[in-house]
Amino acid sequence: MRAFDYHRPATLKEAASLLRKNENARALSGGQSLIPALKLRLAAPAALVDLGAIEELRGIKLDGAVLTVGAMVRHSEVATSRDVAIGIPALARLAEDIGDRQVRNMGTLGGALANNDPAADYPAAVLGLGATIHTNKRAIAADKFFLGLYETALKRGEIITSVAFPLPKRAAYAKFANPASRFALVGVFVSEGAGSVRVAVTGAAPCVFRAKDMEKKLAANFAPDVLAKVRVPPDGLNSDIHASAEYRAHLITVMAKRAVAAAVAGK
Amino acid sequence: MEMTGEQLIPLPQEATWRALNDTAILKVCIPGCETIEQVSDTEYQLTMTAKVGPVSAKFKGKMTLSEVDVPHSYTLVFEGQGGVAGFAKGQANVRLTPESEATKLGYTVKAMVGGKLAQVGSRLIDGVARKIAEQFFSAFNKHVTGTAAGSAAGE
Repeated sequence: MRAFDYHRPATLKEAASLLRKNENARALSGGQSLIPALKLRLAAPAALVDLGAIEELRGIKLDGAVLTVGAMVRHSEVATSRDVAIGIPALARLAEDIGDRQVRNMGTLGGALANNDPAADYPAAVLGLGATIHTNKRAIAADKFFLGLYETALKRGEIITSVAFPLPKRAAYAKFANPASRFALVGVFVSEGAGSVRVAVTGAAPCVFRAKDMEKKLAANFAPDVLAKVRVPPDGLNSDIHASAEYRAHLITVMAKRAVAAAVAGK
Repeated sequence: MEMTGEQLIPLPQEATWRALNDTAILKVCIPGCETIEQVSDTEYQLTMTAKVGPVSAKFKGKMTLSEVDVPHSYTLVFEGQGGVAGFAKGQANVRLTPESEATKLGYTVKAMVGGKLAQVGSRLIDGVARKIAEQFFSAFNKHVTGTAAGSAAGE
């Protein structure tokens, strides 16, 4: 690692100002992607702004039809929260299966979303539930947040504060994980909410996306079998040493069917 | 890995060719390009910073033109050293064909990445390479479109 300045501000305002002032400063949340990159010398920011001491970024709240999770809430907290288990059990199970125990004990919801790794699990839940991302500046709908490979709608100095998830009628997440990294080769989050069905796919393409053809079929009949013949074309899907684009395209249908079956069964 | 793409450039073939060989335009359009310098008729030296997610690596490299067939096609061989991050190398075949008033620009890029980047980022390399190529050619298209519109308005 190289030398860098380390800041641990206690307020959101201070953190935003530190990030705005220094172009080469990076925000540090759980550090499960950034710290390994630093150790490998694949990144050399001039300063780190640790968001860990900012109280307003913490906490989980279930209020009527909305579950709000603070940006600095760790995956392990979501996995074991009573409010999450009551409001959106599918979200608790997704969090329980992210990475390994170390990652779950350090990684945060806000960090995962701001990083927008193409194979991360949380983007599928946020897009698949039609959540709203709140920042220190504005509220961003999930459909407008994820822009591309590691690209989000966040501007410099903009910090995610919390995510508001509308409670679905039923929802589930099915993932085919890489056995070594536990990243999603393909992960599909499905939800049925008030008058809308959402299917969000992660791991398969450079960025999480909605499978609209599947949503249409499921809106008419929310059952796994209606997806049997719906294929997402392999063009533009990821192809690497772990899986070809064709294989991933096939997995999307398989995982979507499993997710719908789990949502129907209420598991 | 190999990728292909196509762009329709709203300029005649000769003008598109000139723009593709203009270092000032290349500098604006190559993502993260900091400096570019023509060292001979067919050789360029450049530095660029590739920023992808948590990773940010600075590359020093050289590009060599070969099989130049003015104003139809060329092959660009590139090679970059990213220090501890590793290296990237490959080649791009660029073909220009007239299409009424405009020019169709077709490209095939082959790229290879080695070293630490490849070791920890194997699952991302294809996506990143595709993104950089798309960014370059669409920025190039936007840039020359803007220039064409500007000079047409000025006439």
